[in-house]
Amino acid sequence: MAALNLNVLTENAVRLGARLQETLSEQTRDLSLRASGSAYLDNPEEKVKNIRKQLDSNSDREKLEAMKRLLALVSKGRNVSEFFAQVVKNVASHNLEIRKLVYIYLLRYAEQEPDLALLSINTFQKDLSDPNPLIRAMALRVLSGIQVPMIGSIVMLAIKKCAADISPYVRKAAALAIPKLYHLDSTHQPELIKIISTLLKDQSPLSLGSVAIAFEAVCPTRLDLLHQHYRRLCRTLIDMDEWGQVDLINLLIRYARVMLPRPIPATAAGSSLSFDVDSDLKLLITSAEPLLQSNNPAVVLAVARVIYYLAPQNELPKIVPPLLRLLHVSPEVERIVLTNLAITSSALTDVLAKSYIAFLVRADDPQRVKKDKVRLLRAVVNPENYPSLLREFICYADDADDELVADSIQAIGYIARVIPESTQQCLTALMSFIQSKHDVIVANAVLVLKSLVQIRLQQQQDAIAYGALPSTFSPLEIISRLARRLDEIRHPKARACVMWLVGQYAASSAAPDNSNGLTHAGPEGIAPWAPDVLRKTAKSFTQEAPAVKLQIITLAAKLLVLSPADRTIGLLNRYVFSLARYDLNYDVRDRGRMLSALLAGVAPNVLGDSDDMHEDVGGVVLRREQVRLVLFEGKSSAAEEPAATNGTLHSPFAHDDHGRFGSLAAVTGKWAGSDNYLPDWLEEGTESSLRDTEADVPQPPVLTAQSSAARSISSNSARPTPIVLTPTGGGASPAGSFSRQQEGAKAAYMDLDRFYEDTEETEETEESESEESEEDDGDDDGSHQAESSGEESDSDEDESEVEHLQGTAR
Amino acid sequence: MALDGLIILDTTGRPIVQSGFHSFPPAYPLLHIDAVNTALASAKRPSDVDPVIYVQGLNLESPSACCHMKRGELRYLCPVSGDVDPLYAFAFLQTFVDILHEYFGHLSAETLKDNFDIVYQLLEETLDSGGHPLTTSPNALRDIVLPPSLLHKVLSVAGVSGLASSTATSHPFASPIPWRKAGVRYNNNEIYFDVVETLEAIVNKNGTPAVSTVWGRVDSNCKLSGTPDLLLTFSNAQSLLDCSFHPCVRLQRWSRDKVLSFVPPDGKFKLMDYRYAPATASAVAQTSIPFMLRPTVQIDEHGGSVDLTLSSRLTTRSMENVFVELYLGDGASGASCTASHGASWSYSPKTQTLVWELKQIVPSANYNIRGTFSSTAEHPRPSRAFRVRFEVPQYNYSAIKIEQLKLTGEVYKPYKGMRGSSLGNIEWRW
Repeated sequence: MAALNLNVLTENAVRLGARLQETLSEQTRDLSLRASGSAYLDNPEEKVKNIRKQLDSNSDREKLEAMKRLLALVSKGRNVSEFFAQVVKNVASHNLEIRKLVYIYLLRYAEQEPDLALLSINTFQKDLSDPNPLIRAMALRVLSGIQVPMIGSIVMLAIKKCAADISPYVRKAAALAIPKLYHLDSTHQPELIKIISTLLKDQSPLSLGSVAIAFEAVCPTRLDLLHQHYRRLCRTLIDMDEWGQVDLINLLIRYARVMLPRPIPATAAGSSLSFDVDSDLKLLITSAEPLLQSNNPAVVLAVARVIYYLAPQNELPKIVPPLLRLLHVSPEVERIVLTNLAITSSALTDVLAKSYIAFLVRADDPQRVKKDKVRLLRAVVNPENYPSLLREFICYADDADDELVADSIQAIGYIARVIPESTQQCLTALMSFIQSKHDVIVANAVLVLKSLVQIRLQQQQDAIAYGALPSTFSPLEIISRLARRLDEIRHPKARACVMWLVGQYAASSAAPDNSNGLTHAGPEGIAPWAPDVLRKTAKSFTQEAPAVKLQIITLAAKLLVLSPADRTIGLLNRYVFSLARYDLNYDVRDRGRMLSALLAGVAPNVLGDSDDMHEDVGGVVLRREQVRLVLFEGKSSAAEEPAATNGTLHSPFAHDDHGRFGSLAAVTGKWAGSDNYLPDWLEEGTESSLRDTEADVPQPPVLTAQSSAARSISSNSARPTPIVLTPTGGGASPAGSFSRQQEGAKAAYMDLDRFYEDTEETEETEESESEESEEDDGDDDGSHQAESSGEESDSDEDESEVEHLQGTAR
Repeated sequence: MALDGLIILDTTGRPIVQSGFHSFPPAYPLLHIDAVNTALASAKRPSDVDPVIYVQGLNLESPSACCHMKRGELRYLCPVSGDVDPLYAFAFLQTFVDILHEYFGHLSAETLKDNFDIVYQLLEETLDSGGHPLTTSPNALRDIVLPPSLLHKVLSVAGVSGLASSTATSHPFASPIPWRKAGVRYNNNEIYFDVVETLEAIVNKNGTPAVSTVWGRVDSNCKLSGTPDLLLTFSNAQSLLDCSFHPCVRLQRWSRDKVLSFVPPDGKFKLMDYRYAPATASAVAQTSIPFMLRPTVQIDEHGGSVDLTLSSRLTTRSMENVFVELYLGDGASGASCTASHGASWSYSPKTQTLVWELKQIVPSANYNIRGTFSSTAEHPRPSRAFRVRFEVPQYNYSAIKIEQLKLTGEVYKPYKGMRGSSLGNIEWRW
């Protein structure tokens, strides 16, 4: 070989010398080292015109230069299809370099100029027999690229010819041409299927991946064709190229879901340690599993899909370390893998909890990554690791990224809810946030505190036995602290929130012991700090945001109901209500009018003296107890809605996890076509003897030994590449397998109850987890479900009040 | 369901190279380019842009997404339609970038323009118009598409290029091993291994590491004749976990004996990735951080002050190219510092980041920087952590060694070389 090279070199050198002498005089400027490159890119117009002449010239050099110019124009985005005719002529050139460039050009423009391409179709057909496999493949690619239905049968012939080629590379090109022809003219389907099933027998691993693509495109439902090849495909998986592995794995997953029985726990008692796994399914899993060590992240995720969707529960943890490894590959890969991990987080909580340190958020992570990491950290909170996670979240609250701040403060609230013993620490942290100088931190902390307070009060009501309530942070203590810090809380939502809390619980503080709680049946009186809040806010009423104004008047009304005799409160009320009546915002005016009408019976002298409104309106005047009921009971039990059910609204996928793991839809959160849809298991798979081939019968599938053997063969010896068609047992009879399939389906029907039980079990747990995490992203506070379907808790409150009002009035 | 094509954007966001997009309307690639450029323009930090951008297609039935990533100064786009695993797109993009690297070395808009004919050939050979990767193994590609070489350029200028290329491409795909060229000959048979380890760590406010992991990779440059079958043994293979390998490595052999048995590709390739877990008795075996940072950050109204002391914990080696960065928060307007030992510092108004750069840190010396920064925000909110990057040449955290390299299948005795280097990327919270 070296000698050969040398010969060629010397020969080249000689010719070079001769050539150089000829051309040096005219070409000296081209001899700069950049000559082959950007010189072509600045094409003056006259040179463009020249191209045509150059293409027609006799000199290879001229032609080559013309072709390069053309490609340069292509890369500039210019349409050069006008030269098509001249270029096509050169397709038979003896110079390989020119030919390759011509084919590149043709691949681009054959579809735009089908008529011209048709003229040269003979050349392409001739090239299908070229000794160089590269040219054969190129010719086929161009042929299949010409989108003219008329030549469908010619392409068909070409594909047939190439499918039997000796070079696996050409066979691969043939497989890739199949979907294009099918797209062009679907009447060829039967023949194409025949070719596909021939190609499936291919011994070379190179083309199998492309065959899988062709299969998915042409006959995705004919999984029965795979019976005979299934085991061999599984075993050759490891020897294929990485892209083929991904494509084939996706096909095999679908096959397994449709044709193989699902793994069921071996013992009915439900000890989840051992599973009955069909041997064919096991074959797929065990032959895919080593590929978790692949260099290619797409392969790793595909294998993870195999295990996630096919393997029995107890094998799921295997996918975690490889996925965690991917987090370090590149930022893009990290972002996608995190999203996928979040999907698995419900099934794999325990495993992920052990390696939560992989999800610690770095200050320089991209936004999406931060969000997903917090989601994952939330998902793995458990009684063992909560102290360190809490520390992390507290740390993130200082981040410069507002979204991360919000997420992590909400996560603290979440910890406080799910881990009762952590409540004290969480509250301490949240209270300290309120003193922060940054609005975002304060606002989020207040929102979370509000929901916590409500839950706590609810719990108090539910079970007084909760005797061990920490005295420093009893809910009312929190409210009073919040009230005291009102001046520093500037975020409108947070301010509104605090005021609502003050108003709602102003009464109960006088009688904390009397805690059949929210009915406020305790003795009269108002917490000492409540009127002061009203005083302060009344002063600043005009500068407040509308949401805050609404709460100020609500607060005023509530205090008045609680203590109608108090003169100061009366005066404050009068002041606030008159401001509200002339406010610019009609919501505020509305609310003011409604509340003053409500209060007409409570303290007529306070609100009514300047006005005769309620007399005009007529209708029922409510007694104080009624008003009180309306104002305070509007949504008392709102806080304790279970956080689970609502999340479905956010994710259209929550109900069916058919192939969501590892899909584009999971990443963009939008529908992306249903290609990745995974069917549910059949209750009983198809007969395994279907998959027996003659080669299989003597040797049971001892997979590990075999695939390693296959691999060592493939790499050690110079393997003869020509196709050896394995004698397969006379071809699968589709009819037979079809009836079997139906039987399987029938069996599933007969046992429908169990079938549903099974699926529901697994799916439910998954849902609730993912929902919880998603739902909290959107809502201002996690627990506050019923009232906070959107963001404006106030307006909802409003509605419920109105409803109550109507109810009582009638 | 496939990759629709590939687009390469230059620094200004204009396309330099793009694949055919045969079966799409001409506006399709433009739509994706626009989507990426718009997202980049509206993001606060370029890294905040989601690498997968949802693009509503021209018609409602075909939603698509644009996967994009930046390597060097160029940005690579891969529009996908249908439900493709985005990792498939990213893996392909990365492979393509690696191939370009292999062919042209440093990548820039200029190099691509200089060699656009080769780039186009590569594009056609690696991605089928149906959207599926074809040939991506560098060894096989080199048979089909000739890398640029001086001789080749001279010949092509002189007009005899056909001769130069015909020899190499007359027998493509002749090799029985997909990743290795057939008939390779070298006068000196040698193989080199570069072990690069990166320490990724987060250090808590109290100076204890919250997480610290060492990720390593072994790059190899193989110049061996024929079809060598190698058996590589590491001295401490047991502490290499979570490995991933080049397809040439026999996985069964590794899981059984923890040795690498492989027929290497010709030329440069990445042999393996691993995570190093020190074999100690304690449950949390973590690599210690090779330096100590004592930060004091004081935040006042419209500004603040920073005082940092950095000292190396390494006893014999010195750290090089140390960068300490702090994002000063929205509204930061400037900084002024003094650094000891003639180290340099800079403030980048664009990223609002203060960078302290130390060329070398010798053992047992303290380096200090102190200064103030100003901000238009009343309460500036700088990042909660410093980011420290450094290099330690000729050193490996894992002290990994090649114990033995056995060669079978060929008669010569190869020369083997190994080189280690270490990087660090550490977040130090204050």
